[in-house]
Amino acid sequence: MLQEIYSKVLAGEIDGVRSGVQKALDEGTKPSKIINDALIKAMDEVGAKMKSGEMYVPEVLIAAEAMKEGLGLVKPLLEGEAYAVGKVVIGTVAGDLHDIGKNLVTMLLESSGFEVIDLGVDASTEAFLEAAGKHKPQIVGLSALLTTTMASMEATVKALGEKEPKIKTMIGGAPVSQQFADEIGAGGYAPDGASAVDLAKKLIQ
Amino acid sequence: MFQQYQGGSNKVFPEGKVKEIHEASVHLMEKVGVKVHNPRARQIFADQGAQVDHGEAIVKIPRSMLEDAVAAAPSRVLLCGREEKNDLVLEGTNTYLGTGGTVLYTLDLDTGERRPTEVRDVAGYAKMTDALENVAFFVINCYPQDVATEDVDVNRFYHSFANTSKHVMGGIYTMEGLKDVIRMSEEIAGGKANLLARPFVSFITLIMSPLVMEVTYTDFLMEIVRYGLPLTTPAEPLAGATAPVTLAGTVTINNVESLYGLVLAQLIRKGHPTLYGTTSSIMDMVTGTYMAGAIESALINAGCAQMAQYYEIPIYATGGMSDSKIPDCQAGYESAATAMIVALSGANYIHDAFGLLEFCTTLSYEKMVIDNEIVGMALRAVQGIEVNEETIAADIIAEVGPGGNFLAHRHTAGHVRKEFFFPRVADRQMRQDWEASGSKDTAARAKVMAGEILREHRPLGFAEDLEALLRKNYPGIK
Repeated sequence: MLQEIYSKVLAGEIDGVRSGVQKALDEGTKPSKIINDALIKAMDEVGAKMKSGEMYVPEVLIAAEAMKEGLGLVKPLLEGEAYAVGKVVIGTVAGDLHDIGKNLVTMLLESSGFEVIDLGVDASTEAFLEAAGKHKPQIVGLSALLTTTMASMEATVKALGEKEPKIKTMIGGAPVSQQFADEIGAGGYAPDGASAVDLAKKLIQ
Repeated sequence: MFQQYQGGSNKVFPEGKVKEIHEASVHLMEKVGVKVHNPRARQIFADQGAQVDHGEAIVKIPRSMLEDAVAAAPSRVLLCGREEKNDLVLEGTNTYLGTGGTVLYTLDLDTGERRPTEVRDVAGYAKMTDALENVAFFVINCYPQDVATEDVDVNRFYHSFANTSKHVMGGIYTMEGLKDVIRMSEEIAGGKANLLARPFVSFITLIMSPLVMEVTYTDFLMEIVRYGLPLTTPAEPLAGATAPVTLAGTVTINNVESLYGLVLAQLIRKGHPTLYGTTSSIMDMVTGTYMAGAIESALINAGCAQMAQYYEIPIYATGGMSDSKIPDCQAGYESAATAMIVALSGANYIHDAFGLLEFCTTLSYEKMVIDNEIVGMALRAVQGIEVNEETIAADIIAEVGPGGNFLAHRHTAGHVRKEFFFPRVADRQMRQDWEASGSKDTAARAKVMAGEILREHRPLGFAEDLEALLRKNYPGIK
């Protein structure tokens, strides 16, 4: 049954995943086993196929959607068992409304087992600090597309560094770079969605 | 007047389909609308009859408002150079190509290393533009990382004006910067009336996809329109990400977005010279990132040109870029394929066509030289074949007769310079001569030519007293 759920996730078949998960639960399979050995494991293969170019982004996202549906059935049964690989607060910085890249990163992080709190666009330093204090994530991710909003990114990263020094920050977006990340003291930089997930996994350790 | 060619021979969808896209766009404008974050703009829409929900910030415009705006927007827009020989007439399928990008990096001409762009590159690329014969205009193509944000606008435009007398267009970063640039342009023109009569500067304010007009860009739009200088309102939908993956859907959404900017401009000032605009492309489905050299980008831009021609409004479009990191074969074929398709579509003002690499993040001086040649070939293709009694030359054929040759005939000498494109970058030598010249590849040959231009070309520049005045009035100029 776990194998069937696994292949339905890869194919992005929502109904197949839901019925597979339901059957597995009825058979008495532990919820955390369904999550780790079927759902997340399937998304690991999806991730590998994405890297090798065998699966394209839209196909990855459909698989992620199917996985999320399956997860939705299992999560309420977890009883305090934490399933999340890690927790990330993410947002587009103040003054910037661009979010397609951030949304893609969010979807890929969730499909890899992260819990993601998305602050949306035009998120102020205060909004980031508040979310960081409330949710206690391991990572805060910041996105910017405009050259002019890189200054907001710097301000937010610095504020987080002072107020929440244990949280690691990572940045992304067309105008930013590893060099910029180093200059402003961010924990890391990723040039695209797939490497953002890799970086997040690394920062969690 | 700058050299003019009539494009429009390449249609990427049948003419009958234009109406379908138009009707779908009207439906979206009336029933879905655009999120207009700027409350002042929303009020302008509301005052003139649009359906506005201030709470949701959604503006829906009726067909009649669109039709009035399209009718009011001029079908002929004059963009001047500081020298009349560089004036551009944007109308019908008059086709011009120029620079663009606003990038943060350039390949260094000497070392080949990728480094941050600086004021000297704004100046350098403007100078390259001034010297290369197929570049019709300078859309300011880089961001000087060596000046403070509050001085960026004035530096970008000053160094552009100082190094080319071709038309200069650019985006802006701050409202104060915009006002300084306008004031500086007045001082160069010798007053507002002169500037508006012969506008040698114009601006770009973007619409976001899908279906969003953001606060700051809209403030810039309103300021520029009120002042009276030409403006384009392009959108950059990415097929598969911020637009439907199907190209017709991307053309449709671009149509809605750009027209919203144009409608707002016409509501503020009826008859304002506004260019329909697109910088659309795709999201690469392997990496999830924006692509500049994709063939689909060219098709979308050509499709938007067909829409703009239907509305009889000049269009600012995009073509001629590459995603290669260096000026190599990939750079050549991506730029050539995209420039050719968009040029043949008759788009009037095709920007980004010179010097761009690496997802429109990096410029290259060698690539500007190579692109000048690619664009030269594209413009020759746009020219097509002139057919008349003189060019059919039946009487010459009869004269030369079976087995003769045309080499020494007066007709050949009389027509060859106009009929053929004469490349300067392409190597047409026999192998032994090419080897004797050092067996150089394209990029190596282009590097030499770029160096020569930067060292030797003398642009119009400013009279001494004008330069002194500008530097005094704008101390932020580096």
